[in-house]
Amino acid sequence: MAEKTITARVFRMDPAVDEESRYQEYRVPFEEGMSAMDVLDYIYQNLDGTLAYYDHAGCSLGICARCNCKVNGKATLFCQYLVSGDLTIDPISPSKVLKDLVCERKRENP
Amino acid sequence: MAARSIETDVLVVGGGGAGFRAAIGAREKGATAVLLSKGPLARCGASPMAGADFTLDGRNLSQLGFAGDPNDSEEKVFNDIVTQGFFLNNQKLIEQYVRGAPDRLKELIDWRLKIVFSEERAIFTTGIGLMDVLLKRARTVGVDLLEDVMLIDLVVQRGMVTGALALDVRSGEFIHLAAKAVVMATGGWHNAFWPNTGMRDLSGEGMVIAHRAGAELGNMEFITFCCNVLLEPPNARGSIATYVLGMQAGHELTNNRGEAFLDQYDPYTVGVASGTEWNKSFISHATAKEVREGRGFSRGGIHFRRGDEPWEKYKAWCGILFPNWKYKSLDMTEIGRRLEANEPLEVGAVVEYFDGGIVIDDGFATAVPGLFAAGECTLGLFGANRVFSAITEMLVQGADAGRNAAEYARSAEIPAPDPDSLAEKQHKAERPLERSGGLRPAPVRRKIQEMAQTHLGPIRTEGELQSLLAEIQRVKREELPLLSPAAAGRSYNKEWVDALELENIAALLELAASSALQRTESRGVHYRADHPVTNNDEWLVESLVRKTDDGFALATRPVSTTSITPPAGTTPYLDMVKGMMERHSEIGGHH
Ligand SMILES: Cc1cc2nc3c(=O)[nH]c(=O)nc-3n(C[C@H](O)[C@H](O)[C@H](O)COP(=O)(O)OP(=O)(O)OC[C@H]3O[C@@H](n4cnc5c(N)ncnc54)[C@H](O)[C@@H]3O)c2cc1C
Ligand code: FES
Repeated sequence: MAEKTITARVFRMDPAVDEESRYQEYRVPFEEGMSAMDVLDYIYQNLDGTLAYYDHAGCSLGICARCNCKVNGKATLFCQYLVSGDLTIDPISPSKVLKDLVCERKRENP
Repeated sequence: MAARSIETDVLVVGGGGAGFRAAIGAREKGATAVLLSKGPLARCGASPMAGADFTLDGRNLSQLGFAGDPNDSEEKVFNDIVTQGFFLNNQKLIEQYVRGAPDRLKELIDWRLKIVFSEERAIFTTGIGLMDVLLKRARTVGVDLLEDVMLIDLVVQRGMVTGALALDVRSGEFIHLAAKAVVMATGGWHNAFWPNTGMRDLSGEGMVIAHRAGAELGNMEFITFCCNVLLEPPNARGSIATYVLGMQAGHELTNNRGEAFLDQYDPYTVGVASGTEWNKSFISHATAKEVREGRGFSRGGIHFRRGDEPWEKYKAWCGILFPNWKYKSLDMTEIGRRLEANEPLEVGAVVEYFDGGIVIDDGFATAVPGLFAAGECTLGLFGANRVFSAITEMLVQGADAGRNAAEYARSAEIPAPDPDSLAEKQHKAERPLERSGGLRPAPVRRKIQEMAQTHLGPIRTEGELQSLLAEIQRVKREELPLLSPAAAGRSYNKEWVDALELENIAALLELAASSALQRTESRGVHYRADHPVTNNDEWLVESLVRKTDDGFALATRPVSTTSITPPAGTTPYLDMVKGMMERHSEIGGHH
């Protein structure tokens, strides 16, 4: 059976070098029950290690909210968004991008 | 790049329950305290993932007004922890645990922790509720909290800790910390395995850094795998929802021939293991056996079903454990549908808890002056097998470690950290950034994670441990020096972080595989198929790994006993398991 794949259109921008954001497309093997986080993990681990999304820590259980983002224009969490087909992934606040899908946050202490 | 500088009396590394409680303890003693959390505040590490049970003896529990068993006692809990640990525990640490638990529960209640229900010798709350209470308390007492900051190394001068180098993962900036005392509370190293129980931040840096600073590590071969962890659907992979449900509501576990494989074992052992937290060691062992002998399914697991348990009962438990069909925030509707239809879910034995770790004394000090440790990253409390609560462990140990670190900081004369040493460590950490055209960390990591799962799982053999060791040594030699991030910048450069973490993962796997190879017996969660006997005559010792000039050396030391003298002799593993279960006090409940 031929593997089903989907296309993920992902927002890319490194404010240190890019004037404008762009979208990059990736083909990802589809698995029933995969989340948008699974899609990003696949891209990062297999296709493109330059992609930044909040991944060095976090819960995958919807409790830390650091993976908040927009999928197909709607605010959601990567780890809780169930993928059914092609998707477009944007950062939650495109004007505050630190890198790609990771946004700036205020520090509470020193 | 210029680094920020921060000064503190006590530096706490780790933002789980042990770290938070240590920082609160240090502050309450009047010390200044900075806490580094690698991930989101109160939402990283294992602590928020926990169910969570907090255990203490039933008598104290009932005196606090809960439904504890008044016939229980501190001595009975002590006895049960020793036998569950196959006599390998540090009994001084059990005494500290048993004694400290009531005060820790009292303060949690004062801090308004919500308790869901209680039983003979435990209360049940949620890991999230617990972390929220600790975060609030830490803010009230004035702990300085740094989020998304990762410890890179400690500065040691004249044999004592003087400070640390950390990395702000978001900005890619270094932070120089001057600290009189450091409490390591970095939890386990789940990230060395795939699949794992989900925390992306736990790669064991704390243990490796403490080892490099001169502390010993011990019992690194004892690794607890949680049974019945979901291996599918992909968005739920690594979730313990089915484990939690199965323990309360029952389950049927079958292999790829449709056999209820637990039926081949002693019914008493299966009974105890199905109704208590003994399930982690025993059912994980039985699961691993099926999978290794070709009777598992494609994802390395077995099938979990409701079986003969009535749906009404299941549904009622789901209502308590997964309110609105959510576990934490994971949508459980599809899983619920499959359970109702009695369709199988593939589940497996997945790494959950590390029984070994940093060697500490009963004041939670390491052999390096100024360096303390608490919580899951330490050695000794639970010996070879944990049944009692690790939530209690992190809190009782955190409280004492924080207080003792504050006292040490007040009395010690500590020089400022040597700028040359900081610069050198910084330079070393930057090395991956300076390389180009090299190797990407993620595929290297996945390869060794999968190998760790099969070769360092619940069942081990000499041959597999040797081949794991050879592969890790090859990776260290040929691949780690080539790791280089594809992106050039410093801000949120995940491949940089991965490259740094991978060095720790490789180091820990090497130490753990070497210790597992050395221990030619089976005890607790360490089962050697080629040495299937618990050997109290030769192996009633903790395995130690000491740093040497060119790496490490293995050693052993006798277990620390206070009131229970372990019996001599050798016993086949499964008989030993049953014997340890039978020595449990008459107190009921899950522990
Ligand atoms: C899924 C799951 C469920 C569990 N359920 C239960 C339960 O119900 N009951 C129970 O008793 N036990 C349970 N356990 C075990 C228990 O949760 C842990 O043993 C306990 O929470 C450990 O607490 P800790 O503070 O020592 O470590 P953790 O909570 O793991 O915290 C470690 C902290 O150190 C930080 N850190 C790591 N490296 C660095 C670094 N280099 N720099 C800065 N910070 C760093 C991490 O980000 C994290 O904040 C469970 C474990 C898992 C995985
Ligand atoms: S990773 Fe924590 S909410 Fe998604």
